[in-house]
Amino acid sequence: MASLDQLKQTFFDECDEALQQIEAGLTDIREGQQSDDTVNAVFRGVHSVKGGAGIFGFEALVGFAHVFETLLDGVRRGSLKATPDTLDVLLSASDVLSDLVSMSRSGKPIAAGFGNEVRTALQQIIDGDKGGATAAEDDNSPAPADFDGLDFKPVPVNFDDDASAADAMRSYAITFRPKAEMLKKANEPLYIIRELRKLGELELVAQTGEMPSLSEMEPDRPYIWWTGTLQTSSPRAKIDEVFEFVVGDCDLEIVETNAAPAAEMVEIADAPPTAPQEASAPLPPRAAPATPVAAPAATAEHPEVASGGRSAAVKPGATTTRIELERIDRVVNMVGELVISQAMLGQIVQDLPEGTSGRLAQILEEVIHHTRELKDSVMSMRAQPVSSVFQRMPRLVRELSTKTEKKVRLEMAGETTEVDRSIIERLGDPLTHIIRNAVDHGIETPADRLAAGKNEEGTIRLSAEHRGGRIIISVSDDGAGINSERVLKKAKEKGLVSPDAVLSEEEISNLIMLPGFSTAEAVSDISGRGVGMDVVRSNIQDIGGRISLKSERGRGMTIQLALPLTLAVMDGMVIKVGQQTYVMPLSAIVECLRPARTDISNLIGTRGMLQLRGEFVPLVNLGDLLDISSTAGDGGESVVIITDVGEGSRFGLVVDELCGHQQVVIKSIEESYGSVPGIAAATILGNGRVAFILDVEKLNDLAVSSPVGAGIPTKAAPVAKIAMN
Amino acid sequence: MPNAVAIKVLVVDDQNSVRQMTRMTLEEIGFRHIHEAENGVQAMETASLQPLDLIISDYNMPEMDGLGLLRAVRGHPVVRKVPFILLTGRGDRELVVKAAQAGVNNYLVKPFTAAILREKIEQVMGKLS
Repeated sequence: MASLDQLKQTFFDECDEALQQIEAGLTDIREGQQSDDTVNAVFRGVHSVKGGAGIFGFEALVGFAHVFETLLDGVRRGSLKATPDTLDVLLSASDVLSDLVSMSRSGKPIAAGFGNEVRTALQQIIDGDKGGATAAEDDNSPAPADFDGLDFKPVPVNFDDDASAADAMRSYAITFRPKAEMLKKANEPLYIIRELRKLGELELVAQTGEMPSLSEMEPDRPYIWWTGTLQTSSPRAKIDEVFEFVVGDCDLEIVETNAAPAAEMVEIADAPPTAPQEASAPLPPRAAPATPVAAPAATAEHPEVASGGRSAAVKPGATTTRIELERIDRVVNMVGELVISQAMLGQIVQDLPEGTSGRLAQILEEVIHHTRELKDSVMSMRAQPVSSVFQRMPRLVRELSTKTEKKVRLEMAGETTEVDRSIIERLGDPLTHIIRNAVDHGIETPADRLAAGKNEEGTIRLSAEHRGGRIIISVSDDGAGINSERVLKKAKEKGLVSPDAVLSEEEISNLIMLPGFSTAEAVSDISGRGVGMDVVRSNIQDIGGRISLKSERGRGMTIQLALPLTLAVMDGMVIKVGQQTYVMPLSAIVECLRPARTDISNLIGTRGMLQLRGEFVPLVNLGDLLDISSTAGDGGESVVIITDVGEGSRFGLVVDELCGHQQVVIKSIEESYGSVPGIAAATILGNGRVAFILDVEKLNDLAVSSPVGAGIPTKAAPVAKIAMN
Repeated sequence: MPNAVAIKVLVVDDQNSVRQMTRMTLEEIGFRHIHEAENGVQAMETASLQPLDLIISDYNMPEMDGLGLLRAVRGHPVVRKVPFILLTGRGDRELVVKAAQAGVNNYLVKPFTAAILREKIEQVMGKLS
């Protein structure tokens, strides 16, 4: 049974949904999409918060929500106009409401008079409507059990009234066996059952014993018949009425049994807390209520399935259920262990002598298939829509635009895109930072925008979508874009690039993500304190994501985050260098090849370059980098894995051997070892040994900054292009 | 004297937390047969599936609100006599007046304790044993 704390948690989750609904509705209204539906949705959102807060005794929340709701009610009824001023007050009110919810959630005491300003503003608009009447109910005293002075008398029920539901309950045993004639006259037995169900509580069991095999089945003959009980308060005549048209075409028996106290029936039906009592109805023990024919078709084919459908039929709203995350995480862990055990099993099967593993290998194949499906299902349970992060952004933009005196509109798309919650949790800060930057540095002041021939109001677009096994989140603005000269000058001043480097527009844009880079001419109140895009980049990289940036001078810029969908299990390529085994994320691999020695040249006398379809790709020798004696030389006899490190930059990783592709469970090593450059995590392989999972992007950075790798410290591929030019 | 254990009650609210809280309070009083519905439409479906002795419904819900449900119940041949208690928030006075006209048996202001809930039910159904 749920504890009070759990219920409160449920309530706060509902509040989050409601707040989101309020925010979205108000935004729509502000953009001129006001309809009865939007106003109603906002109203209902506020009301939900108030209703739940009422029942859990969050008085401050109730008080504020009440005033908020009263104003919305006015708008809904049309007695108040949703003027821009009113909307501003409503938006501030939604912010205050959101603050009150988080304060209530954290259990902090709410300062007396918190949000009073907004509350007064709401009240003034309401009073304006009513001509300065009610200053009502701004006290935070506990709710009264009754309204004072309200002339209401409870209406007692007269149980002697013979029509009272419980007393008139009668129970009938019904046997209903359709004949072929019935079907020929186009009477459908299931309709009759449905009609019967409307009379009261119906428990029917389909008798399928006479069902022939498919080949012997005649489609116009009924094989199924039903037995069971009906409990109803309707007179017998009503039951006969249902069978009126088929009475000659079926074997029908309706016998009134002792009026069973209906309570017992329900006891059997949804038994949970108490022990099931003796069933008086002719039902199979415990296999239990084959029920109000939840799904008639199912009843016909599989009576036992239909009985399982009971809870769905009786408990509406059972379509979703809230589960503690901890429990799901436990399942995720078990799936991880399962993947490991399965890999071990696979290893054993592989090691069996040729020809002895046939059946075993086949079954193992199935197990692998099921494990994968199990993993996907569990992961989808952990998935959450990104809206939980997105919903915080409108408020952020609103506050920032007020502070910077800019006009900014936030458009959002794809809020329902789902991603693992561990990623959601770590997405908030980077995204906040990016949006903050967009408002502070990206969007120009209204005057500047007008001068540049743009709309006075800037637009920031935040969107999310699934693409190629990753989730892509992009933030684009129509602001000034990156001032490349200034960025390059600054980067040279700070010694981040060599003074004579020639960089493309795109490379310059990417410079702002280097550590210690900040261009804001004046450090503003909002952003530009030196903790900048480099932190965002490392945050995103920490969760296995990539960040890329495109800027168009004067037109705005787009920052794109590509994130993995999950952090627990991934597809990996097992590789070998010398005696060591490593795993590379499959998502980072573009292709694998064994190049001819003639395709490899040593340009600029440093790293090897692989000539691949007319383009030079820099090589990184994994053995050298990790200081492992490799059997491969400079790539001649070894395998080269071409990897994509984002923004179109590629490099080739030289390894000794590819051992195959498998799913691996990601085990973090940071807690034990801290962050190791080039190593993302560890995993356990089928042979029980631990292998490191490589951090491909870091490997490239390492190679670039290592003494053998010269060139500018950005990405490897541009070097190749410059070299070709 | 009605026995709480035997009374079949339907709790109607679109908020899971409120439903669960109401359920918990009802269980505290001794109720054992508690059905739930998320809105008026679902409530009517549930009501047509099994006999009910009491409906406790919130007012504000999508699809069909509490008043709509009350009217639907009172207009339904089978369940029209089922006692109906309306859950209201503070300040919903006008609503109670409307509900009274529509034939509500009692109302209950949130938040409520088990004692208040019991009292409200007893005012309608008589002393609970």
